[in-house]
Amino acid sequence: MVRRSMTFASWLMLGIGWLGLSCPALAALGGDLTSVEADRAHLKATSLEVKPAGAYEVHSIQAPGGTIIREYVSPAGRVFAVAWHGPFIPEMQQILGSYFQQYSAALGAKRPYGRRPLNIQQAGLVVQTGGHMGAYFGRAYLPEMLPSDLKADEIK
Amino acid sequence: MRKKLWASILFGSLGLVVGCGGGSSSSSNPSPPNSSPANVLAITIDGGPTATQSGGAIYTNGVFATATICAPGSNSNCAKVDHLLVDTGSMGLRVLQSAMSSLKLPAVNASNGSAAFNCVSFVDGSFLWGPVQGATVTLGGETASNVPIQVISSSTTNIPTSCSGNNLAHDENTQTLLGANGILGVGLEPTDCGSICSSGATPPDAYYTCSSLPCSPAFISEANQVANPVVMFSKDNNGVIVELPKLSGSAASVNGSLIFGIGTESNNQLSSSATVFTLVCDSFTTIFENQTYVVDPQTCTGGSFIDSGSNGLFFPDVNNSIPVCSSKTPIGDLSSFYCPPSGLSLSATNEDPNNTSTTKKTNFTVDNALNLFTASSSDAAFSTLGGLNPPNYGFDWGVPFFYGVNVYSAIDGQPMPSGLPAGPWWAY
Repeated sequence: MVRRSMTFASWLMLGIGWLGLSCPALAALGGDLTSVEADRAHLKATSLEVKPAGAYEVHSIQAPGGTIIREYVSPAGRVFAVAWHGPFIPEMQQILGSYFQQYSAALGAKRPYGRRPLNIQQAGLVVQTGGHMGAYFGRAYLPEMLPSDLKADEIK
Repeated sequence: MRKKLWASILFGSLGLVVGCGGGSSSSSNPSPPNSSPANVLAITIDGGPTATQSGGAIYTNGVFATATICAPGSNSNCAKVDHLLVDTGSMGLRVLQSAMSSLKLPAVNASNGSAAFNCVSFVDGSFLWGPVQGATVTLGGETASNVPIQVISSSTTNIPTSCSGNNLAHDENTQTLLGANGILGVGLEPTDCGSICSSGATPPDAYYTCSSLPCSPAFISEANQVANPVVMFSKDNNGVIVELPKLSGSAASVNGSLIFGIGTESNNQLSSSATVFTLVCDSFTTIFENQTYVVDPQTCTGGSFIDSGSNGLFFPDVNNSIPVCSSKTPIGDLSSFYCPPSGLSLSATNEDPNNTSTTKKTNFTVDNALNLFTASSSDAAFSTLGGLNPPNYGFDWGVPFFYGVNVYSAIDGQPMPSGLPAGPWWAY
C-alpha cells in the first residue's frame, strides 16, 4: 500500500513540478530559505505543503518513517519556529541549525538522572519535546521572532 | 494497531503531496527460580547503580530490574545484569556492552543480509547506538529464546551522523551517562518499530547496516527488530502489571513487582476495581483544567500515556499558573519540573477514546521539585514530582502515577483471555 502510494506521489510530484509551482522546503531554525532544498534532501524528506497563515508560512515535510516537520517562515524568509510529530525524533542538528550548540549545552546541564520531556527555556531559544517510542513530538522557536498574530502555544 | 495506524497516516499524508522534488558482568548460571511465582520479576526504585558510588548521582524515580542474558542455547555463557530501567513506554532490551563484556552474542541481520545496528533516540535528547544481537533472556522465572536485543556500543566509532546528530555527548553508552545498565522496554507493542522499519520506499533512521561506511539505514524484518521480550515468553506473554506500593512523600527506596501476563495465572487476573481503557495510537484521553487532551488519530498526537520510564507526572498547564523550576538552581537545571510555592492538590480524569463513558479520576499532588530534591537529597522515590509537557499535548503519567496503583499494560496483537479486549490497552 505504501509503495503504491509512493508511485502515485512521484507522478504527482512530476506533474506539479511541470506546472512550476513553488517548492515547499525546509530550513534550519534561524536560517533563511536559500539553502532549504539541501536541508530537505539531507533528511531525505518529502515536501507536503506550504500553507500561508497570516503574516507567515508553514512549510511541512515528511521524513522517511513518517515524522512530519513543520517550519514556520517569516515574510522576510527566516525560519522562526520548527515543530515535529511522528514515530521518530528528527535529526536535531539539522533542524536547529546554528542553535544546536545552545541546545546541546542546555541538555548537558539537566539534573538529576531520569527520563522526561525536555523543556529548555532560554533567552532567545525555547525547545520542548515529549512523547514516547513510536509517537514523539516537539517544537523549537525563537521567542523574539514570533509574529504578533501567532501565540507560542499555537506552534505545533 | 499502531502499525496499521501509521501505515494509514503515511498513506493519507502522501495523498497530500504537492512537492517538487552492568552491574555484574561476571559469567554465571541463570538464577535458580526463587520462592515467588515464575511470572514475577522483582523491581526496585533505589537510585540506580551510580547512587552507591562515591559522589554518586541518584536516578530519581527510576524503576530497575535484573535480567540474565545468555548466548542462545547456552546456560553457562551468561551475564546477570542488574539495574535495567523498566520502561513501559518503550519496547526492547538494550544493555550496555560494558555491563556484559564477557558475553559474546550472535549478530542479527537486516533484510540486506548484513549485521543490523540500531539507533534509538529519546525525548530527553539522548540516543543509544549498537548492534542487534540474539540472546536468551530470563526475567524472574520466565525465559525468552533468541530475542533480538540492542547491545549499546562502548565505542563511538562509525556512528552515523543521522543517529548522533554529530554530537556524541548525547550517546549514553556508559553507566555514568545512562544512570542504568540498560533499558528493559516492556511497552504496548511487540517490537520497537514495526512495519515502517521492514518495508517501504526509504528506511527511517532507526536500523542501519555498516558493511560499507558510513553506516546507512536499512530495512529489517519485524522478526529481527529489537523485541519486547515479554511477547517471546512461551506463556504469560500478553502484557505486564507494574505493582508499586503506595508512597506518601518520598523514600530512599521502594520495592515492587513486575508481573508477566494478564489473566493467565492466579496472580495476574484483572482486578475488579481496575478500569480498562482501550486506546487510539497507544494513547488515551485526559481532561484537566477544563481542557480535553484527546489523541488526533491522523497525527497520533495530543493524547496521554502511562510510562514507567518517565520519572515524573508531566502535563501541560494551559493557564500558565504553575511556576516551572529555574534552569540555574544550586543543584543544576531543573526546568523540566514544576516548582510551585507550596504543594498543589490537582485532579485529572482519564477517558477511553473509543468509549467516552469509561473514565477514571486521579488525584495527585505536585510539590516544589527543588525543595523536594534539596530536603530529601538521599531519596530516590518521589510521589509528588511533576513537570511540564508541551502545550497542546496531554499527560505523560510517569512513575508517581504507579505508587499504590497496579497498572496493567496489554500488548498489541497478543492472545487475550475471553472477556478482555484485544490489546493494546491499559487498566488500573
